[in-house]
Amino acid sequence: MSEIHLKINGQEVTAQSGQTVLEAAKGAGVEIPVLCHHPALSNWGACRMCVVEVEGMRTLQTACTLPAADGMVIKTHTEQTFNIRKFVLELLFSERNHYCMYCQMSGDCELQAQAYNHGLDHWTYPRPYEKQEVDATRKYFIMDHNRCILCTRCVRACTEIAANHTLGLRNRGAETMISADLNVPFGESSCVECGTCLQVCPTGALIDARSAYGGREKDVTHTQTTCMQCSVGCDLDVVTRYKRLLRVDGVWDSEPSGGLLCVDGRFAPLYETRKRVVKPLVRKDGKLTEASWEEALGLVANALKGDTCQGLAACATTNEALAAFAGLMTQLGGQAGRLEPVAPTLGYGVPAKVTDVLAADFIIVAGAQPLDYQRVVGYFIHRAADQGATVAVISDSENALSKRAALTVASAQAGIVAKAAADARKIVLVYSVGLKPEVIAALKPLGDKVSFLALDPARNGKGAEAVGLKPQSPVKTDVAYILLGEQPVADALHVPAGFKVVQAAYHSTLTEQADVVLPTPLWYERTGHVTTLDGVIKPLQVLLPAPADVRDESVVLEQLAALLR
Amino acid sequence: MGKIKVATQWLEACAGCHMSFLDIDERIVEFFKHVELTSSPITDLKHPPEEGVDVGILTGGIGNEDELHEAQEMRERAKLLIAMGDCAVFGGICTMRNFFPTAEVLRRGYIETESTVDGQIPQHEDLAPLTDKVSGVGDVVPVDIYLPGCPPTADAIWYVLTELLEGRMPKLEGKVLKYGMDGG
Ligand code: SF4
Ligand code: SF4
Ligand code: SF4
Ligand code: SF4
Repeated sequence: MSEIHLKINGQEVTAQSGQTVLEAAKGAGVEIPVLCHHPALSNWGACRMCVVEVEGMRTLQTACTLPAADGMVIKTHTEQTFNIRKFVLELLFSERNHYCMYCQMSGDCELQAQAYNHGLDHWTYPRPYEKQEVDATRKYFIMDHNRCILCTRCVRACTEIAANHTLGLRNRGAETMISADLNVPFGESSCVECGTCLQVCPTGALIDARSAYGGREKDVTHTQTTCMQCSVGCDLDVVTRYKRLLRVDGVWDSEPSGGLLCVDGRFAPLYETRKRVVKPLVRKDGKLTEASWEEALGLVANALKGDTCQGLAACATTNEALAAFAGLMTQLGGQAGRLEPVAPTLGYGVPAKVTDVLAADFIIVAGAQPLDYQRVVGYFIHRAADQGATVAVISDSENALSKRAALTVASAQAGIVAKAAADARKIVLVYSVGLKPEVIAALKPLGDKVSFLALDPARNGKGAEAVGLKPQSPVKTDVAYILLGEQPVADALHVPAGFKVVQAAYHSTLTEQADVVLPTPLWYERTGHVTTLDGVIKPLQVLLPAPADVRDESVVLEQLAALLR
Repeated sequence: MGKIKVATQWLEACAGCHMSFLDIDERIVEFFKHVELTSSPITDLKHPPEEGVDVGILTGGIGNEDELHEAQEMRERAKLLIAMGDCAVFGGICTMRNFFPTAEVLRRGYIETESTVDGQIPQHEDLAPLTDKVSGVGDVVPVDIYLPGCPPTADAIWYVLTELLEGRMPKLEGKVLKYGMDGG
């Protein structure tokens, strides 16, 4: 990249070669209006809002697609550009239904904002009043074609960011429609409900079922925090109002996901239906009964004194809580471990970062199902495949990634993959707990050519690793102390200990067996840190207050440690 | 200087725009120092005087023959015509019916609605027939000033009126140009 010099609205501007005129102008503080352009997407240049005058060029040029060149003289806000933009807006408003008074986007709509900026106080073109479809077949968000301006941001988001290729355009001219797959209802389509299209839509066409009419930008609070739904640890921008979670957005310039989220991170936490534990519970006459913290902690401390103890943690909580947990267990001389299994170690190769997947030309997926459990990694693999990377799946059961893989083999045939990958430039091996020893052996010839990404099945497995917690099964001890947090429990989990303490956010089959249940906050009701797959320590923020009688695990564990000293 | 004559009427509307006008609160005292209101939907005189007014303010869309006639009358009698509110400017919420054939709208409204028993579509020579589609005022007569909003805020209305009183043509932009309830 080299420096170039151009003149924008009479002002000398320095830009980088490779930048568009739009980017060069932005760098110089000149905002050119856009609609179909979105910084996270490729440029399409179709809406013509960004037209500018360029000296020496006969026609107006679209700034979002025009490469900035040395010596260019550009005018961005002239009478001519203003009139063209207003004309474009008039056409957009005359096509479908843009009666803002019953649109949930009114106040935050990019189309509406541009209309205001261009003084559009009435419409001059007749409207066709054609009724378009409203598709509400997906759970979390709705597509109202009546509000759609066919900017194709959603299509590009689905193709380029989610790499899911669900969306496309159907028909031509005035009949053009956004459609899913071969024109099926969204709910029956290949859509994975990552919500990226929803986030980029500039109008009220894509409607978030939870936050619609819940508050305009000027009424809501945005807080940046970290997703706790899997080990990837995507950055979240959470929208809240009146002590209510309204919406979760991705953060465009964040590592590793770059704004991409998955259904678990974006929508699931807003639709939680499990019953919350809100007060300490102790077993009295065989029944769990509400108690004070003092009473509950006294009981726990008493049980822990002198008896054999096993501590088991679901790695679904903060680094601070896991450290306090490991510390208490050491103080007690008990054994401590994690509930979830870990991915095995290879003995060769170099560790990869999540984003390395995007740069790979050969991706091996073995003993892992990222599309189900660390979805953004799965989408990254799709994205790499779109860019020409070869994907090879080694699996003894069905794997959703096989659909886009060049080859899928059973563990016994892993050698085939090793051979196929031999000449690759950058090999990334994505694996998890299902990686079999024979596969590790078969891929060994690739040696340090392999960059590996070991997917931890637990949300904060890295945090557990840092304090030395290794997988353990429940054993027979006098006391079991289970740090469960928000983690759902497998019905099969049987804890044989005589006295069971469960620190949990929700009621479950495990709390039913417990002798004492201690309520814990949710990820958005607490501060603390989590360690992502990439080993980055990221903060959690308090978005909503926890119920009054809920205490952070680390606080409780320290109180117990003090009682037992 | 004599008072400026203003007439107003509501067409296919909910009265919200006139309510918003009343939201100018105590400024109304100042307003009536300069203005004579010749006719309005809530005074005895409903029609603008034949000798004409300086400013006519219409709220609501055009949805039947009577409203069309009222709009034409106001246009003829007002030197300057303001279309006030999203219905008068764009047709507004009443245009929801434009997405269906008129016969279907009447059948749904008078016969099929869940709360209706033995309904019938009213027909009488005194009832104005519906226009095929609801439209804004500007679609049937020339309009001089468009003031959108559902309703426009009292401040936007006040801005337009005071500009006119000062002898300037109001220019709708910035905080006073809003659609829907966005001004609130
Ligand atoms: S999409 Fe935008 S312009 Fe269209 S009705 Fe909704 S708020 Fe108004
Ligand atoms: S749904 Fe939204 S993002 Fe997609 S084309 Fe329509 S307006 Fe653009
Ligand atoms: S939610 Fe994701 S997968 Fe579904 S259409 Fe939108 S971008 Fe594509
Ligand atoms: S991939 Fe994981 S961290 Fe990212 S949004 Fe999905 S659940 Fe959250």
